[in-house]
Order: sequence, then C-alpha cells, then structure tokens
Amino acid sequence: MVEFEIPDVDYTRYSNRQLVAIPLAILGLALVILLGNFLITGTSPVSLGMAFTGGTELRIQTADTQPQIERTFDADVESIAPIRSEENEYIVTFPPSDADPQQQAQAAGYEVISSQERAASFGADTQRQAFLGIGAAFLGMALLVFGLFRTFIPSIAVVASAFSDIVIPVALMSIFDIPLTLGTVAALLMLIGYSVDSDLLLNNHILRRRGDFYESTYRAMRTGVTMTLTSIAAMTAMTIAASLLAIDLLPSVGIILVFGLVADLMNTYLLNVSLLRYYKYEAVAQ
Amino acid sequence: MIRKNWRLILLVVLVLGGSLALFGPLGAGGGEGPTNLQYGLELSGGASVRAPLVGMTADPVDLEGTSGQDLERNIAEELGLSPPTIEVRYPDSDEATTEGTVEVYNESVTQAEFAAALQAVGLDADESVIEAGLTRATYDTAERVLDSKINAGGLTGGDASVTTGANQTYLTVEVPNANRSQVLELVGDPGRVQIVGLHPAEGGYERVPLFDQETLNVNGVSQNQRTGQWGVDVSVATREAAQRFSTIMQEEGYTDNQGQCNYEIGSGPDGDNAYCLLTVRNGEVVDAVSMGDLATTIESGDFVEDPRYFISSNSQEDARELEINLRAGALPSALDVESGTNYFLQPSLAQDFKFLSLVTGVIAVLAVSLTVFIRYREPGVALPMILTAGAEVYLLLGFASLIGLALDLSHIAGFIAVIGTGVDDLIIIADEILQGERVSTGRVFESRFRKAFWVIGAAAATTIIAMSPLAVLSLGDLQGFAIVTIVGVLLGVLVTRPAYGNILRNVVLD
Repeated sequence: MVEFEIPDVDYTRYSNRQLVAIPLAILGLALVILLGNFLITGTSPVSLGMAFTGGTELRIQTADTQPQIERTFDADVESIAPIRSEENEYIVTFPPSDADPQQQAQAAGYEVISSQERAASFGADTQRQAFLGIGAAFLGMALLVFGLFRTFIPSIAVVASAFSDIVIPVALMSIFDIPLTLGTVAALLMLIGYSVDSDLLLNNHILRRRGDFYESTYRAMRTGVTMTLTSIAAMTAMTIAASLLAIDLLPSVGIILVFGLVADLMNTYLLNVSLLRYYKYEAVAQ
Repeated sequence: MIRKNWRLILLVVLVLGGSLALFGPLGAGGGEGPTNLQYGLELSGGASVRAPLVGMTADPVDLEGTSGQDLERNIAEELGLSPPTIEVRYPDSDEATTEGTVEVYNESVTQAEFAAALQAVGLDADESVIEAGLTRATYDTAERVLDSKINAGGLTGGDASVTTGANQTYLTVEVPNANRSQVLELVGDPGRVQIVGLHPAEGGYERVPLFDQETLNVNGVSQNQRTGQWGVDVSVATREAAQRFSTIMQEEGYTDNQGQCNYEIGSGPDGDNAYCLLTVRNGEVVDAVSMGDLATTIESGDFVEDPRYFISSNSQEDARELEINLRAGALPSALDVESGTNYFLQPSLAQDFKFLSLVTGVIAVLAVSLTVFIRYREPGVALPMILTAGAEVYLLLGFASLIGLALDLSHIAGFIAVIGTGVDDLIIIADEILQGERVSTGRVFESRFRKAFWVIGAAAATTIIAMSPLAVLSLGDLQGFAIVTIVGVLLGVLVTRPAYGNILRNVVLD
C-alpha cells in the first residue's frame, strides 16, 4: 500500500534568503512571462476566451472532414476541435463578425448541437466585471488577513503567497495557451480561498501557539500538506474525468486549481515559512 | 447524551429536512425526475438570449408644468418618429422635485438630435444629460411583456429577467427545450400592433391611428363562417375609444365608402379613392381591409354599445401571431440582439451533461476518499470525514430544491469546490484533535476543537469575501458558482464541521 508521510523538512539547514529565493524566482519568472506576452500581443497576457472577446462557438455534428468544415463557412474559422468522446462532433469557434455561422452550418446540413454567440461589446463588459471581481476579492481577502493578524510581516506573508498562487497559474495559462474563460476566473477566485487556508493554518500554529518554531511548522505542515494534496487529488480527478467526457466549464476550473494548489505548496512552505521565521527570530527580537 | 451530541443531532435534522426538500413536499417543485431539483439550460437544454434594449435616456430633465402626452407627441414630431417611441416619466408625487426622465426608443436618433428635439419643445436639456440605455422602469415593462409573450406563445417554462451589468442593463430570455430561432423570433421585434385608418385628404392620403394594444381586448382567434377568413376577435377597451372610432369613421367618409380599398401591401393605395383600415406591425402595413358590415352598426350607434371588431389575417398562423402580440402588448423598445449573447444546447446533450457531471463529482469524491484513507488509515476518522463532506453536498442540494435554484454546470463546479474546502477543514479538525497525547476528557476536547475552529472560521470568512463580488456582479454563469460556494461554506462552518467534531469526540472519548 502507498505510504503517505509528510516529509520533515530540516529548515535549519537553509537560510531565509535561500528559502525565499526559489518562490521569488518563480514568481519573477511568471511575471516576466506575463509581461513578455503582453508586450508581444499588445492586448492581454493570456488569450481571452469567447466570453471576453465575443464571437461564436458552435458544436456541430457532421461527417465532413475538418478542412471541409472550414470551407463551409464564409467567416474566418478561429479553431476547430474534434470532441474526443463523440465521433463526428466538432467545436468550431469564430471571431466576432457580421456573418451568421449558425445559419451557414444549418444550410450545409450540419446538426447544431449547441451554440453560443456573444457580441464584442458584451464581451468587453464581462472583461471589466471579471477584473473588477478578482480585484475586489483580492482586496477583501487582504483586508481580512490584516485584520486577523494585525501585524505586518505575518499578514503580508499570507497576501504575498496568495498573490503568487494566482500569478503562477495565470503564467502557466499563458504558456499552455489556456484561454481565460468564466470558468478559469471562478477557479482563480477559488484559489484565493484555498491558498489562504493553508497559510492561515501555518500562521496560526506558529504565532498563536506555544512551542518551538520548527515543531509548530512541522505540525502545520502535516495538516496543511494533507489538505492541499486532497484538493489536488479531487481537482486532478475532476479535470481528467470532465475533459474525457467533454463537459464544458469543469476541465478549465480543475486545471487552474491544480496549477494553483501546487504553487501554493511551494509558496506556503518556502515563502511564508521563511517570512515567519524572519519575523519570529529577527524582527521581533529587535 | 442529547446535550453532548446536539451538533450531530442538528446535522441529522437538517439532512432529514434536506430530504423533504429534495424528494418531498418542501421543494419548490417543477423539477423532473425523482427529485425536486430544477435544472438550468446547460443541464436541461434550450435556448437563451441576453441583450440590451435600444434607445437613450435624458436624465434629469426639469418637467415642471408640462403635460406628458403633449410632450411625447411634440418630441416625436421633432424627431420624425411616432409618439409611442417617446416616454416621459414624471417623479413620484411624494418627491419634492420636478425632475423626471425622457426616453427615446429608437436606435437611429443621435444624442445631438435628441438634445435638439428636447430644446425645441422647451425643455432645459443638453447632450450632457443624455446617455445610451433606458430606465429600469422601461426594462421592467419589457420583462413583463416578454413573460406574457413567452406564455402566450406556448413556450412553457420560459422566463424573462432583467440583469444589471457593470454599465449596462440587459434582458435575459431563457426558454427550455426551444431552439435559437424560436427565441429570436419571439424577442426579435417589439410586436407593436396598430390599427390605422387611411383615407383621401387634400393632396393625397391621410393616416389616423385608431387602436393599439392598449385600447383593444382580445377575445380569440376565429374563422368567419361565411368567407372562411381567419382573424382575431377583439373588442374596444373603452367607450371613449369606441366613440372616437365611430366619429372618425363617419366624418371622414369610411361608412359611405364600403368596400373601397384598393391597397397593395408593400406599395400603398391604388388610385385616389381608397378608404382602408390598415393593420400595422412594427411600423409596417401587413394587412389592409375595407369597411364592411361594420358601417351599419357604426351608423346606428350600436358599435359604441357593443364595440366588437374583427381583425382579419392571411392565415390561421398569422392570426395566432397577431393574437399573441395583441395579448402580450408591445415591447417598449426593440431588443438589440446584435450586441448581446445567445446560447443554445440540444436537450439530449444537456441530459448527457447532467449524468456525466454526476459521474465527475463521484470520481472527485472517490479521489478525496482515497487520499484521506491513505493518510489516516483509521476508518473511525476517515469514514465520517467522507460522510460529512457528502452530507454537506446533500444539504446544498436540499437548499437548491428549497429555493428552486436552477442547477447549471457552474453550480456543479461549486459543489465540487465545496467538497474540497469541506474536507480540508475536516482534516484540520481531525489533526488538531488527534495530535499529541490522547484526548481523555471532554474539556481537552472542547479546547482543541475551538483552536481548530479559529482557522476554519478565518478560512471560511476569506472564501466568502473572495466569492461575494461574483455573487453580486452579473457574470452570468459565475453567479451560481459563487452563491453555491458561499452557502456551502456557511453550511459547513455552522453545521457539518461542528457535527464532524462531535463524531470524533465520540470516537476518541470512548
């Protein structure tokens, strides 16, 4: 049977600088990727899904081949993706235009199984709201954390690792070309909640309990790593199942949460731990 | 016994309540299948359209000493539009202001033209008070009209609602089991029906508006026994309108010119001696008939006493459509479908999604269970953990049926997220209680439980704060996700997680 032991990391062997270096380097790299992508595309660091740009998405059933499908439509076809679980079914997307791809699909004898159409202006409105939502959620979280701990370093440790937990998955989205959809926005917001869980646990064990720093850290880690691994297991299972079964929305929620939770493991137990150690041994001592 | 286990008892009571909501009489009803659960378009199939209404609003405008009808007519005249496309709204009489709003329900008018028209009729308004978009009151009217159109059109289960976005308001029309073109046809035009008189006048023809949806009551579709002609039986709603009609018919010579209507639909009257009653839909003449037997009852004065009227149509189908439009009334303005969204999903695929998302949920729960069992290796700890997390989702489903929430994929994602956070918190409780030396007294247990709860409470508060913007913003799909997550977290913190602590207490104190 599989063993499940939380490693007892010997933090005393590494300096705070060494510990902080890895998560900060990765966060820096993520920011560079996003900035680079932003400069290359000139619009957005991640590709935006139909919900934000507008356009049309059709799920059609036809015996035609992909090139034939492409020729059927007057409008530019943005992408054609076959559906793995169903033969002869494709998801075809179009950028916003005046053409009516739905009518053309029906005229060509394709069976339209599902369709979504969004005006570009509507997409822009959604985009504004989504950024507003993420911003408000993050700000609310930060205020709450500062209110809970009332000291700067432990609070900023939680906020910084939550920030990194969101930025790293967004950078990965940009690398793997996963578009930003309503589902991924929900997942990013969910990450705020998940990320803060383990950070709060760590802060609570170290700051609010008696006992040795390393002993407290180990205890918090044992619980926290179990929590995060359980969530990773749930989300991996959901991602694989939902993408094999070709269900909308769920795969993108799952994959972002997996990215973010892995980033959270690193940020909590490298970044947050070393900031707290600095706080406990150096900042307080002064 | 009861005092020690009250948290567990509360959970059991709520689970029973949830069952009553899910399967019994407590649910909001209307669901299909064995449960009271209701499903949204993504899990039942159907079509939806979301779009703003066209037009703009001048707000505020000082309306002191003006008359609404005159203003509407004059502004419409300035803009070359018909009076129903202008709406003047006065402040409530209990408000100490004379400022109201003026709306124009037309997309081709520019802001500058609208401002000029307002100034021309003597209102103090310039372009700075004019903005694209219409008032909430107009949207509410449109919602009512669409709802009755959906019902009159026989599209069962459909619903219209108003949603407010960041800087725009939208109307959303959702109709299960319908396809895109059915819904677009339903909402695509304002459905304004007018009966207009047409008679010769100096230098050509004159048109007089006679009736519209507000002044006609619908009796039903019928077929003339003698001629086989289909049409809609209506009666004039008020005596004034009937009297006005009678007077116009007699003074303008309609009653003296029975059967005189040479009218070519699309081009207009033939010759210079046509007396026609035109049926106008959305500004277009769809039918033209001459004065018939009605002339007799008008001249004898019987019409005012019994003002019944037959609007003829080309076919039974047209008559039916006319009836729907007459009954539902007109949308104040047209829906701008081009700047909205529409969505369609075949019901059979939706059924698949319903089943497959259940499968996905079960797989996620299995993955969680496996991890938890490997970690704790003690069924007494792990099994209640899985059951408690399951109870949390079960309670959420009960909540959904209680309030009649229509489940969509985003809610399913929310359920899975709730299982995730739920189990996380149960792990915190379990580790806190099982750590170090064995818990031997109830006091030690309570103290450890309270410590665990600090983290859980703080984490729950963060999740709720992180989700609340989504619950308020109208990001469509995500609102459901946020609401499910928030309710799930609340249920977890207040009910299921304390109950799990209770179970552990029984396990460790035995």
